[in-house]
Amino acid sequence: MVTKPHALLLKFPGTNCDAESARALEAAGFTTQILPASQLGPDSLEQVDLLMLSGGFSYGDYVMAGRLAQLRVEERLGLALNGFVEEGGFVLGVCNGFQILTKLGLLPAGSLIDNSSGRFICRWTELHVENCDSPPLVYLPGTFELPIAHAEGRFVAPDGMVQEYFDNGLVTLTYGDDVNGSERQIAGIQNQAGNVFGLMPHPERFLYRQHHYDPDWLAPDQSQWGWGYHFFRGIRDHVVGEAVVESLEESAL
Amino acid sequence: MIFTDKASFRRVSLLELDGEALSALSEEMKLSLSEQDMLAVQAYFRETGREPTDVELEVIAQTWSEHCKHRIFSSEITHETAQGKEKVDGLFKTFIKQPSEVIFERKPGFVLSAFHDNAGFIKLDEQYAICLKVETHNHPSALEPYAGANTGIGGVVRDILGAGRGARPVANIDVFCFGAPNTPQPDIRGEDVIHPLGIMRGVVRGVRDYGNRMGIPTTGGAIQFDAAYIYNPLVYCGTAGVIRIADIDKAMSSGLKIVALGGRTGKDGLKGATFSSAALDSDSHEEDQTAVQIGNPIEEKKVADCILAARDEGLITFVTDCGAGGFSSAAGEMLSEVGGEIFLERCPLKEPGLESWQVFISESQERMVVAVDPARVERLQELAMIYGTEATVIGHSDGTGILRVWHHGELVCELDNNRLHNPPRQIRSSRWMPAAPDSSRVWDDEDLATSLSRLLGDFNICSRAPVIREYDHEVQGNTLLKPLAGARGDAPQDGSVIGIDGSEKAMAIALSLLPEWGKYDPYRMGKACVDECIRQLVLTGGDPDKAAILDNFCVGNPDDADELGALVETCRGISEAALAYGAPFVSGKDSFYNYFETEDGPVSIPVTCLISGMAVVEDRNRVTGSTLRRADSIICLLGEGSGLMGGSVYARHCGVVTAEVPDIDCMAALARYRKLALARDSGWILSAHDLGEGGLAVALAEMGFGMKAGIEIDVDQVDAPAMATAAQRLFEETAGRILLEVAADDLENLRACFAGHSFKVIGKAAADHENLVVRDAAQSCLIDVSLSSLKQVWKNAIGAYY
Repeated sequence: MVTKPHALLLKFPGTNCDAESARALEAAGFTTQILPASQLGPDSLEQVDLLMLSGGFSYGDYVMAGRLAQLRVEERLGLALNGFVEEGGFVLGVCNGFQILTKLGLLPAGSLIDNSSGRFICRWTELHVENCDSPPLVYLPGTFELPIAHAEGRFVAPDGMVQEYFDNGLVTLTYGDDVNGSERQIAGIQNQAGNVFGLMPHPERFLYRQHHYDPDWLAPDQSQWGWGYHFFRGIRDHVVGEAVVESLEESAL
Repeated sequence: MIFTDKASFRRVSLLELDGEALSALSEEMKLSLSEQDMLAVQAYFRETGREPTDVELEVIAQTWSEHCKHRIFSSEITHETAQGKEKVDGLFKTFIKQPSEVIFERKPGFVLSAFHDNAGFIKLDEQYAICLKVETHNHPSALEPYAGANTGIGGVVRDILGAGRGARPVANIDVFCFGAPNTPQPDIRGEDVIHPLGIMRGVVRGVRDYGNRMGIPTTGGAIQFDAAYIYNPLVYCGTAGVIRIADIDKAMSSGLKIVALGGRTGKDGLKGATFSSAALDSDSHEEDQTAVQIGNPIEEKKVADCILAARDEGLITFVTDCGAGGFSSAAGEMLSEVGGEIFLERCPLKEPGLESWQVFISESQERMVVAVDPARVERLQELAMIYGTEATVIGHSDGTGILRVWHHGELVCELDNNRLHNPPRQIRSSRWMPAAPDSSRVWDDEDLATSLSRLLGDFNICSRAPVIREYDHEVQGNTLLKPLAGARGDAPQDGSVIGIDGSEKAMAIALSLLPEWGKYDPYRMGKACVDECIRQLVLTGGDPDKAAILDNFCVGNPDDADELGALVETCRGISEAALAYGAPFVSGKDSFYNYFETEDGPVSIPVTCLISGMAVVEDRNRVTGSTLRRADSIICLLGEGSGLMGGSVYARHCGVVTAEVPDIDCMAALARYRKLALARDSGWILSAHDLGEGGLAVALAEMGFGMKAGIEIDVDQVDAPAMATAAQRLFEETAGRILLEVAADDLENLRACFAGHSFKVIGKAAADHENLVVRDAAQSCLIDVSLSSLKQVWKNAIGAYY
């Protein structure tokens, strides 16, 4: 019996994608715990392989999205979070989680500001993989689809930095069209070490084939899974290491 | 933390007043109680042998308000029609409750709770039940659209959290009725009336900001535009929920602690219940601002997290929401039979200086009241702390049968709950004497393609995409049938289907309102609304024999016999249809006094009946969308037309208001829907789309908006009276009809399946072009127009204004 990797999902007041994120992580072979932010402490990250900040509106996002959650994480976790990242623990931020990671400074410098339309936008979008070695993307094709749902998803970086991010493989995903005004249509980025990943689209909302808007959509492998499953599977295989992957696959059968 | 520092109440002398003086007192205190009501109040206190406190009068006023007691729906009505006079012994009892109870008996074990709780439950599977609740928030939205819609959503979500011992909200639906967004300003004949475009933008953003932040997908809705809604916009907010069957039953008993959970109490939202039970005028726009509040969705999200966690730990014995009437109605509901005490000095406040009655009836948002075993209170408070909210013990149940409210040691309210809840019954009269319809018009149309294009650009038909895209319709990851779908994710859908965690089954949600029909024939409107809702539930994947519906009425002036008459006729229609379909009502609500005194006289809304419904989807793989999927498929039409154009958008475009509104044979329709469910479960249906506003031609175009194929049909294959013109066949809106896309190989199976029913092959999908082509039996081409150009018209009509 192989021990499954463990994912901790932080739940701030207003976080609202935690349940479906946990569902997706469990489908991909993780054990999960959803932890309300009030219970967060420096030892919360012990035995954790993946720290996930899922989508929602932490504290309402009435000041810049993610700002209050950032302050709460810094207050409660302090240096433990930096230690977790330095030791190779994986951190994933989706949507509001991406905004929080950006505020925490765990990702390349940049901000997620109001969409250029000034509106919340909920739709599906085509995505292009810009770094196929990035753990969540290793099982995904060069072009795939996920849904987005955000009001503040327009990624902007300090002057001239974006090209550098592309050159260094820090830009992981771009949109197929200009959905929100992001610079160079950036949808997702990662840190230099490749173990902190943030994206605006929602992989947990495309876990199953039936999540797709077109009833005739079918993955190339004709399975029941959507692209989101393969996204989380990539993270799982990264955190358990190659040796364990095979036995995990077997135990899943 | 802020609390009151002293009791602040007064005795009101009314024992010696005459009827006129009692009315004046009601007016002065803004109680919205009639002279008859005030006399009943006086009789009660004469018997009790003392003068009431202001707290007691405020409690009675909100409890007896139309908003809380639905007094018009329980009134005795003498209804006059061409056939003579009849007595209606309560609209609710006669037309809602009685037919539903017949169906409950016919389908034992299906409806698990109806009418008495915050929402009605039906059985999903052995473990889970589903529920749906719809409320209106019209008056607040007219005065302050953003906040009104915002708190409308907040309120109905709390209804679900307070249903059973706490249901989980899984989807929101929103239905709006507005004036046209391009209404010229001089046409608005009232001071301070907000332009329909301002109302629409505010309302949509209010719904967006609350629903999205709560993490509840907004999966369905509708928008109706009519000049009658300029002064009285309608905002219906609905929420669907899921609960374990074991968590449905709740019962109060003696010795429980009463705990206030969530937000604090303030002066905001005073007298919302009585305010919403009166008509609007220009003064309302100045005076009643305190009745409208701004919602705080994050507070409600924390409350929701806490309630669901507490329920899962078995901490909750009884729960209800603080809606209209605040603590007074929540405590009233909990303690009305068992009795108990509330201590106002314990209620945490937003601000100092509240009088006793204000603490007790304030409608501050985001509050729930929970009854808990004393031994479990500490754990509930711990959970509240974990999820970042507050739980405060404010009283207890005591088995006396009397509600006593104390404030700093003074008894400010002591009412016998049995009598408090029984206001005097109203006696009303109504009338429905319409002019006979004129059937002399010949429906010729020289340019059907232009007419179709015009219909697709009509505000009542065009795409709602700009609005839908502002709502998160996929949060929770269970939206199996989305509001926009098709191969490009931008084609319309007839309903939505929500997957239920822990179950193989899913929940279909659909709705219908046809206010234009009701202007001429409210009885047929009622039947058609029920039909359209059931039809959409079935064609999206629901089981026709496992559907339940809700009735939500908005009416103008009930004191006008003709307006009340239209309501009576509507009720008769929905009642007959519900019985025919075996779809019981499990919940409903009504909103009256939706009329406005303009500079040119009063303007009322047409009787507007929203029928919404839910049905069990037995298998997630049976979910069916509305757009064409193949370029080599056959297009069939289920159900027959009547050639009657009354109520249709086409008739409106032609300026005709005298045409007869079509009727429907509900029993025949149900038989067809059962066959359709069989065909679908056999895998023979690729897609299905209902015929609604705009009729067959609009439905065909919409089906093609997935842009996978062109469409060719022969209009003479449509099942309609032989004399019907092409325009009638293409644009009539007769209910009960569905377009089906099927594979050629399955056609014979379908013919056999629908033997004896109206089922016609009318055309096919075409691989060699992207046009909608309509021919007649003589092969003359009546319409040949590109679907992409029609789609542009359909997609862009509202975009220019939104």
